[in-house]
Amino acid sequence: MSMSTTKLNAESHLLLDQPLLRLPHELLRKTFKTSQKHFERDQNIIMTGVKEAAAKAMAGGDPEDPVASLDSMITRMQGLKRKLESLHEDEKVLQEHSRKRISHLQDLYNIPSLVDEGYDRWSRTRLDRLLVDFLLRAGYGESAKKLAQEKQIEDLVDVDVFVQCARVEASLRRGSTVECLAWCQENKNSLRKMKSTLEFELRLQQFIELVRAGQPKEATAYSKKFLVPHSENHLKDIQKAAALLAFRPDTPWQPYKAMYSADRWEFLANAFVNTHHNLYGLPSRPLLHIALSAGLSALKTPSCHSSVASSSSNTASSTTSLCPICSTELNDLARHVPYAHHVRSSVEPDPVVLPNGRIYGRERLEELASKLGLPEEKIRDPTTGEEWDRSTVRKVFIM
Amino acid sequence: MEAIQKEYERLIKRANLSKSINDVEHCLRLLENAREAILRDPTTSKMTLVKLQQAMSTGLSKVQDDHKEIYTGLNRYGKALDKTFKAVSTYSTNDYDALTSQAPLIKRAIAMHLIREGQFSVADFFLTEAGPIDVPPELQQEFQEMYEILDAMRTRRDLSLAIDWARQKSAQLEQRGSNLEFELCKLQFIWLFIERPERAMAYARREFSRFQEKHLKDIQQLMCAFLFLQSPEKSPYSRIFADPEKSWNDVAHSFTKEFCSLLGLSAESPLYIAATAGAIALPTLLKMASIMKEKKTEWSTVNELPAEIALPPGYQFHSIFVCPVSKDQTTDSNPPMMLPCGHVIAQESLQRLAKGGSSVTLKCPYCPRESSLHHAKPVII
Repeated sequence: MSMSTTKLNAESHLLLDQPLLRLPHELLRKTFKTSQKHFERDQNIIMTGVKEAAAKAMAGGDPEDPVASLDSMITRMQGLKRKLESLHEDEKVLQEHSRKRISHLQDLYNIPSLVDEGYDRWSRTRLDRLLVDFLLRAGYGESAKKLAQEKQIEDLVDVDVFVQCARVEASLRRGSTVECLAWCQENKNSLRKMKSTLEFELRLQQFIELVRAGQPKEATAYSKKFLVPHSENHLKDIQKAAALLAFRPDTPWQPYKAMYSADRWEFLANAFVNTHHNLYGLPSRPLLHIALSAGLSALKTPSCHSSVASSSSNTASSTTSLCPICSTELNDLARHVPYAHHVRSSVEPDPVVLPNGRIYGRERLEELASKLGLPEEKIRDPTTGEEWDRSTVRKVFIM
Repeated sequence: MEAIQKEYERLIKRANLSKSINDVEHCLRLLENAREAILRDPTTSKMTLVKLQQAMSTGLSKVQDDHKEIYTGLNRYGKALDKTFKAVSTYSTNDYDALTSQAPLIKRAIAMHLIREGQFSVADFFLTEAGPIDVPPELQQEFQEMYEILDAMRTRRDLSLAIDWARQKSAQLEQRGSNLEFELCKLQFIWLFIERPERAMAYARREFSRFQEKHLKDIQQLMCAFLFLQSPEKSPYSRIFADPEKSWNDVAHSFTKEFCSLLGLSAESPLYIAATAGAIALPTLLKMASIMKEKKTEWSTVNELPAEIALPPGYQFHSIFVCPVSKDQTTDSNPPMMLPCGHVIAQESLQRLAKGGSSVTLKCPYCPRESSLHHAKPVII
């Protein structure tokens, strides 16, 4: 037998599942930061107000004066409370997501082995998660939602985050920076920490569009306002941008031709998606790709794309099952991945060879002959259907 | 995972906004009370405001502390995540992704998976949203039929649809050496026998004669069960009737396999098998990748994975032949060859042994027998 295992090491098995917990955590942090921002701003304003009112009163102002300023402070405080309450609702939802996800992952720790029925169920749910992830990334939000709904895994997938991401991505592909700039504003601090250049690239695009539209004055003003603040990291780019003013949109000269090119929108869309995924701890490629390419290789054998039908795996007889890599679904997909490494042969016990060169386990030939009700002295090739005398079957030695 | 669990508990218990909201409410009440006090007696306004300033300062700094606690809680939870998933950072940089350029094939694999799993409405959504996808046009109809039959078996314990199908396909099933039709009829008999033995008798008379030639022995056993109707515990055939639930599952499984095989497809969803195998293989592959990166080596053959991967039993579908001389797996261009003595080695190894040409005598590396290249014969594993 080739190397086989039933051991389930949950810890290392969860490689694919980090985003499951990472994303709600990042969203929780974001909720927290928003709350902190609101609080800090209102705290300052209110404390200043209270101090001023107290100072005025000390200085002998009209004793009824403070009521008006207290009213405005009360309104502000009520506003703050409402904002925190609404954030708290978001927080509860996210924490509930985390709880369900932790318990889903915890389930794996309680499954004794890879051949346990529980593992089969868990792995099916995982596949559904990976499929939803793939569909969302590919922009098929409706299919993703439907699948999540039918499989009742809505708490284990992040439809909203991806749908929003797809919306901004699509707006860039349409040639609009508005949505993406708003997103950058929302995540300003995190982007700065990541040293993201996304915002600069968007601003640069705006500048390019102004130049393209023949508005050099506006472009220059825009550059002063929005590009120059980035000069510490982007001085060269800003100079290049300034030089763009000297070239017409149909210029053959690089790099100006590239700057005018519509491909830049594609570049921006991809840059946004990468930045977005990076920010939320999401891998840049669909998890399904990662799982599949590993799985295709682990299962693939040289027989899977051979011109000769494999003796051990085909649909010609009920004694064999078709290998998943040989099945239509995956066969072409697996064509270019490496096949699995084996250091030892592994064939059916008691191998024999038929006159046509096909090797089978003796037991399988017997089983088929009896299922077919063949005469005592006959044997049928399970793959080709040829019939032979038992006397022509020879023992073969596989070392 | 335990660490994550622990930090999570802490998070929901202590580090959430409910406390901040309470403390904000408290500040709000301070403001309201001050306002009322001043309205009631404007002469106290100076004192009220001085007191308010102090109370507000304490109150607001409490809200700040609440926020700090959330911050700490989130950080600790984040660190627990980092620790549990520390190996993961490598997978975004590894290069196990030959698939990015294969979008149409992946979409096809997904569409076929959804259909074969009976997720027809999701499949419809997907085909509309992501189409056109190259899926066999009849596939959905075929699987709809399969699920109708399975559903009748599972929910209504009704085998008639399955038996009809098996009869329709009897020539193909016969050719495959499948006894599905008999298996289905046998289960029907068992089910009747458990519920209403007199009907089982009638059923056997009507249906079993067709199977006499091939399944006489089974039929005899089934019919002998009638002899022990009064004392089934003494019946030597009790095991046939012991676990009907298992019989239903087994038969449903055989039916699914035969149905898929006639469509030329594997019995289990390939996407499921491959994704599961992938998750099992991933830790080994990542380890290999990082070792190779460290040692700055590359795989000797790009066609083959660098390490053996252990999968659960049942994940091996093909026989594997590794040449005992060269340790290579045989391929179409280097097929396994059998020597007259019955030993098998790869063609390239054989040619190396027969340096001189096809008529040179060469000795089998595993037994004393001598032969020559043109006595060796290609075999198919």
